[in-house]
Amino acid sequence: MTIYDACESSPQIRLSRRMRIALFFLVEGVAALAIGFAALFVSFDPVWSAELPQQAVLRPSDARSGSLLFKTDDGYRDALRLGVDVDLTVSGPTVRARVTQIFRNPTKDWVEATYVYPLPAGGAVDTLKMVVGDRIVVGDIKERQQARAIYEQAKQNGQKAALTEQERPNIFTNSVANIGPGETVLVQIEYQEPVQQNGSEFSLRVPMVVGPRYNPRPVVQSVDLRADGSGWGATTTDPVPDRDRISSEVLDPATNAPINPTNITVHLNAGFPLGEVKSHFHQVRIESPDNATRIVKLAEGPVPADRDFELTWKPAAEKAPSVGLFREHVGNSDYLLAFVTPPSVEQAQQKQLPREVIFVIDNSGSMGGTSIIQAKASLLYALGRLQPTDRFNVIRFDDTMDMLFPAPVAANSANIGNATSFVSAIQARGGTEMVPAMRAALSDTNHDDNYVRQVVFLTDGAIGNEQQLFETISALRGRSRIFMVGIGSAPNTYLMTRAAELGRGTFTHIGSVEQVDERMRDLFAKLENPAVTNLSAKFSEATADLTPSAMPDVYRDEPLVLAAKLDKLAGAVEIKGRIGDRPWSVTLPLANAAEGKGLSKLWARRKIADAEVARTTRQASPEDADKTILALALEHQLVTRLTSLVAVDKTPSRPEGEPLKLSELPLNLPAGWDFAKVFGERPSLPAAPGERRADAGNGKVQLAALKRSPVATQRPGTIQLPKTATDAELKMIAGVILLTVSLLLLVFNRRQTSPQ
Amino acid sequence: MRRVILPLAFALIGLILFGEGAYIHAKALLAQVLLERAFAQTIATGQPVKPWRWADTWPVARIEVKRLRASAIALAGSSGQALAFGPGHVEQTVDAGERGVAVYSAHRDTHFHFLRDVTIGDEIDVTRSDGKMFRYRADRSEVVRFDQSGIDPLTGRYELVLSTCWPFDALTSGPERYLLHATMIEPDSRQDKSGS
Repeated sequence: MTIYDACESSPQIRLSRRMRIALFFLVEGVAALAIGFAALFVSFDPVWSAELPQQAVLRPSDARSGSLLFKTDDGYRDALRLGVDVDLTVSGPTVRARVTQIFRNPTKDWVEATYVYPLPAGGAVDTLKMVVGDRIVVGDIKERQQARAIYEQAKQNGQKAALTEQERPNIFTNSVANIGPGETVLVQIEYQEPVQQNGSEFSLRVPMVVGPRYNPRPVVQSVDLRADGSGWGATTTDPVPDRDRISSEVLDPATNAPINPTNITVHLNAGFPLGEVKSHFHQVRIESPDNATRIVKLAEGPVPADRDFELTWKPAAEKAPSVGLFREHVGNSDYLLAFVTPPSVEQAQQKQLPREVIFVIDNSGSMGGTSIIQAKASLLYALGRLQPTDRFNVIRFDDTMDMLFPAPVAANSANIGNATSFVSAIQARGGTEMVPAMRAALSDTNHDDNYVRQVVFLTDGAIGNEQQLFETISALRGRSRIFMVGIGSAPNTYLMTRAAELGRGTFTHIGSVEQVDERMRDLFAKLENPAVTNLSAKFSEATADLTPSAMPDVYRDEPLVLAAKLDKLAGAVEIKGRIGDRPWSVTLPLANAAEGKGLSKLWARRKIADAEVARTTRQASPEDADKTILALALEHQLVTRLTSLVAVDKTPSRPEGEPLKLSELPLNLPAGWDFAKVFGERPSLPAAPGERRADAGNGKVQLAALKRSPVATQRPGTIQLPKTATDAELKMIAGVILLTVSLLLLVFNRRQTSPQ
Repeated sequence: MRRVILPLAFALIGLILFGEGAYIHAKALLAQVLLERAFAQTIATGQPVKPWRWADTWPVARIEVKRLRASAIALAGSSGQALAFGPGHVEQTVDAGERGVAVYSAHRDTHFHFLRDVTIGDEIDVTRSDGKMFRYRADRSEVVRFDQSGIDPLTGRYELVLSTCWPFDALTSGPERYLLHATMIEPDSRQDKSGS
């Protein structure tokens, strides 16, 4: 059929033929259009997508050497979420905490969840329960590797299982295997800890989030064997061998709503009539059933887990009890917990030695936001408190370090003014290389015994190489005393308490700008007044296993806390010491001790901490220390570096053949932290394998390696290549076809109209 | 009237489609001009410079094949957005000049159009953002699937891989990639400054 034919036909036939021709072009046009659009979609939606490798949500730090990680464009999947309920019961000197974590799986896959969470550094974790439907599975304490093996086996078998492991004395990980689609699994852990006392104030603290840690880069990552074939070589160990175990994905608060809702209830039975009860960082509702009891609840329901919970209480009486004595009978032994606050001797009676104070301020990226403001305010306060007879110096550090004066200088007004402007100009950025700063602070060049040497160290402690810092302190402390000041909403209390213990100083926590004045005043009372030294305790009749084994010095308003395991509860304990140059002693009759709860666990936890300290200071060999820790942990059912709790549901739940996905629960950034300061402006990926350029060596890279979005893993050793074709040509061809069609139509129309 | 509407509609859609295609090419060309400027500035200042204010990437290297008079400024990252403007330095691969394999990817119809003309033995110069230039010699080409590149990122040698879609003349994108392998022959020669 041609156009030529159509011209000589009768009008009716011509009309119908014209219709047919129009129809023909219409069909052709629609087809071209369809092809064009199809091509558009084809290029957006690749047809081989079904062949894509199965993607698992995984953190880069899970990737062992050789595997490569890629960021996907699709961002967050509908991920596993978590709710936390914390129930605390204070009975006199101890706190019993029950932490319930609710793992809800809204996805269509079977998942394994891991959640990294903090606990108080002195907490003794002794119970793990898993609730699946109406079944409760109670966990057993096992050696760490054994517990891991049991858990892995259960995971393989499709059984529900929960595992509680200690990463640091204040960081724990819960893993839960085989949470079914749409299922909810409850994991409950319980711990025991002593109440903190400072002067007349008692307190408890519930850490809620592990702040992202700065993990210093290893110096050498490989073994260099000598070329001569002698087999000798050198290797340097990684300062943070478990860096991947303590870093979680962290959500940027600017782009994500807070997660991990947490509810807190405190049943406070102080054992004495209560005065002021105060929550420092959370709005609470306080009920008082009687004068020694309070029930504290969050005022506005669950809160996001992004800052520590701190509750303090004071007795109604003007003067706090200065002595507390509690006992517990477990097995064949009696356990004793004693709090003794030495009397404060007035300053006037003492001739005060001048002091040499070294202030160290951490201005790393993790201190960004409100933390650096608190730190600077604290330091400025401290500078204002120095006496003209004192000497001082200021050190600031991130991954670089500056010392204000080459050597400590007299605290005259010119030097103080100098220091004040130096401190005011400090900005938070960079990594946290704490060890060199501590080493500089401890280098005691004057050896002038007329001065008391004190180091005031202001930091959030967000580092992963705590052990290196402890070793530095125990090796170099000399006559210096280290006073740790923990800054921010979620400081690393384990680092603070242990560093202060090794440095024979104290730990002060400042959680908000409002607390700066009060807490710094307390700290200066400790710095300016003589400590209680040469402490010892003697039991008159009982044989006692006492902890702490090396008695610390006690500063003003602090209680001496002793725990002991006794063969019989008889006689008395006499505590002796010196306040300044005056002898002091107190005798406590054991028979009058009040019944307490969980004291055996506290004693064991304290003994374990002693063993860890002895290991750090090399007073005990690592093997001996580990043996002691393991024996104590197994006897008292405690989670430690060497033991874990594991619970396995006997009934398998995941059908065979169903894949299991791993889901790491993301964390909030601690309140007041600045996301960009911690992670850098651009979303960097972890360091590429192979060598890095030598000049790229600033510490930021490692921090950036704390990744924040889930990524897909690849088989090790392959690189996925991006799509490298545009639809430009296709679009242009389709465009040309359509233009040609329209041109043809126009020509056709012209031919149709011209004869008329 | 109806007779005019249909051809006009076709013409409009055709123009839009053609325009979209041409826009991709125009964007690719214009971006390279801006990138050239930003890269020169990067080398001069030593700081990454964004080619335009709202850009989410920055130039990291210049890839040149002198024989073909082909040159392109590569960007950090190989997301679709980056590749519209220039070759992307594939994440997780080393920088040019470092031990390992540096992988750059670009569209076969824009920036790496010249790749089909590169023959074994051609010299490829890569100038890094710190001004150092490394010369590679193309020694092998192959066609692989995108997820089975066979590139060993931990190799002890100094290698360069340029990747683009295969086949060169296909209209739709497919799973196959063309890889051009090259090995370093001259570390940081710094002999040619005319390009920067």
